[in-house]
Amino acid sequence: MPTPFIMPKMDMDQEVVTIISWLKKEGERIEKGEPVIEVETDKITSEIEAPESGILAGILYQENEEAPVTKVVAYILKEGESMDSLPAAGAPAAPQVAQPAAAPVPAQPAKPAVPATPLAEKVSADLHIKLDQVPASGPKVTRKDVESFAESLKEQGEHRVQTPATPAARRLSGENGVPLDAVSGTGPRGRVQAADVLHQAAAAQVAPEKPFKPASKALPATAVPFVGKRKRIAERLTASYQSIPHIFLTVEVDMSAAEAARKRVNQLAEKQGKPAVSVTAFLVKTVAWALKRHPYLNATLQDDKIQLLQDVNIGVATALEDGLIVPVIQAADQLSLAGINEHLRYLTAQARAGALTAEEVAGGTFTISNLGMFGISSFTAIINPPQSAILAVGTVTRKPVVVDENDTIAVRPIMNLTLSADHRLVDGAVAAAFLADLVSALEAPELVLY
Amino acid sequence: MPEKTYREAIHDAMVEEMRRDETVFLMGEDIGSYGGAFGVSAGMLAEFGPERVRETPISELGIVGAAAGAAMVGMKPIAEMMFMDFILLALEPLMNQAAKARYMFGGKATVPMVVRMAGGSGTGAAAQHSQSLESILMAIPGIKVVAPSTPYDAKGLLISAIRDPNPVCFVEHKVLYKVKGEVPEGEYSIPLGVAEIKHPGTQLTVVSSGIMVSKSLAVATKLEAEGISVEVLDLRTLRPMDNEAIIKSVKKTGRLLVVHEAPQTGGWAGEVLAVVAGSEAFDYLDAPMRRLAGKDVPIPYNRFLEAAAVPQEADIEAEIRAILSNKY
Repeated sequence: MPTPFIMPKMDMDQEVVTIISWLKKEGERIEKGEPVIEVETDKITSEIEAPESGILAGILYQENEEAPVTKVVAYILKEGESMDSLPAAGAPAAPQVAQPAAAPVPAQPAKPAVPATPLAEKVSADLHIKLDQVPASGPKVTRKDVESFAESLKEQGEHRVQTPATPAARRLSGENGVPLDAVSGTGPRGRVQAADVLHQAAAAQVAPEKPFKPASKALPATAVPFVGKRKRIAERLTASYQSIPHIFLTVEVDMSAAEAARKRVNQLAEKQGKPAVSVTAFLVKTVAWALKRHPYLNATLQDDKIQLLQDVNIGVATALEDGLIVPVIQAADQLSLAGINEHLRYLTAQARAGALTAEEVAGGTFTISNLGMFGISSFTAIINPPQSAILAVGTVTRKPVVVDENDTIAVRPIMNLTLSADHRLVDGAVAAAFLADLVSALEAPELVLY
Repeated sequence: MPEKTYREAIHDAMVEEMRRDETVFLMGEDIGSYGGAFGVSAGMLAEFGPERVRETPISELGIVGAAAGAAMVGMKPIAEMMFMDFILLALEPLMNQAAKARYMFGGKATVPMVVRMAGGSGTGAAAQHSQSLESILMAIPGIKVVAPSTPYDAKGLLISAIRDPNPVCFVEHKVLYKVKGEVPEGEYSIPLGVAEIKHPGTQLTVVSSGIMVSKSLAVATKLEAEGISVEVLDLRTLRPMDNEAIIKSVKKTGRLLVVHEAPQTGGWAGEVLAVVAGSEAFDYLDAPMRRLAGKDVPIPYNRFLEAAAVPQEADIEAEIRAILSNKY
């Protein structure tokens, strides 16, 4: 009788799998353990292995169909078997007749999969013949079938003992449930010794088929309402990232000159009793200078017009405990470094206090996002519509770089800048030209005077 | 505990039993004033007189026939074969009469006789004075065959043999006569048919008797230093054989080597293997059962060839190593 190919149940509450593909076709030979079906549950994709060797037949569920677990999905034919020998054609559920829940099944030795008369079972046990190897002449294997099979084995000179093993190994194989043919024998001529069986049994114990899985009782997550500012940020960034084709360009800047300039400026500030100028303020000043020379980076797209803006209003992304806000330094191109620094300090303090007015966050034409203080070396930012670009600033790291044409290596403070630009307005070369000017101005701050 | 030789232990057993029971007497060639070919009965003529230490003509047929007759009428004779080889001259009274009388007369007659005999090689006594004929004796129902390996066993087993109501062939090994061992003063007996583990072990069972026990023990002790654990089972009584002890030991170790001096073909090692093969111990075997026996040749006179004809310690050691390394 054909061996039913039963879809295994992979999860406690699983009822069906979706068959993605049959890796073998009907009529093809399959080997026990070989992947035959690719299936998908709501959690995983998995390959189902052949439970027996034989010919694949009687596929009941096609690809992309759902198949119930623990039920027959196909059959495996042994040599000489055909699908005709199924008890009732078109009754695939037959092999696993559901036991009525109310009728407790008495504990009894596992019945062989092959229907056989009780006498045939006894005779096969006495003759040490496996019932499933005996071809049945009728619906059930009979004593006569078993005896003639035994006779045929004798005629063929086939020994029922196939694997050479010592008597002790045979005994231990039974006691430990380790099939002899699964053990590699270390004795002469490959004979399985007692120690081989014990070794295999021990190995099977230390290597369980499935690793221990902690009880998957989900711990309750902390629910944060997705409303207000968070939701607005989400909507704006989603819209931006989905509608604007971003391009990203990264450059390295040698900050030696900028650092030196900032140091000199701050010496002066100190003398005047003014606060020190921050790196961000220095960047805002330099970016404003560069933007005046590259109007496409300081532009918006409105319907069928690209608006090249006169105003240079630079937003500085500021992290808050519950989100992000971008106060804007208006007319940054017209402010001195000290002025930018003052505005920046004021706006940052207002932002942290949650006291920014609508005016103070409106009208930005370009944004700088600096994560250098967190040690981030480089990152990409999402454009803040309707602006056309945003500059992501990394941390300043001292590292060795080649500083001249003689391949001289020196340690320099290096910063990564990554520009995100709206490719609808800004081509790569345009963005690159802006970055090149920006880098020049940072590496030679006196250019800003020009 | 005093140390005594194997010879002295046998002497003591006979003396003590003759003092205890006046139906016990000796018969044999040169056992009187000469004290026996190997000196076992030295001094006994003086104590017990010629009636109880009876010198006989050179006729083994006559000695065993007379002993069997005496036993049937109530005496307990101890007959000595100067060499085991000569028992062949006395097989008719031993095997056809003594072995069968108790059965044929429905238990009305018993034959409580002991035939002592010096067997084995190792003394340069050549082919007609060096044989190990235990298997021939064992083949006849109605005869018990005992083959002690130590002075202690020799005394205890001989006392049991003398008191046993059946004919007992008591096989002494010539080379063992001079071996010393602890032997308690006074009466004690070792039951016939009970084997003893002389050296416990876990990896392989050596079944042997007589001189081969000493050789096997020497090997077991040597291998123990290497962590190889060999169990040496001394059968002590070859018939009835202690099958239970053999099966128990083999179940424990899973490997069996039988060592005897008698030639391999028809030797009693085959009997031991058959006992195991047909028992529950079969399912515990983790290697083919092996036997190491005398070569199928007459014992040579040349001492090198003589040694080569029977198992020596090196042979036993090599065979044990071969079995344990799965050579077979």
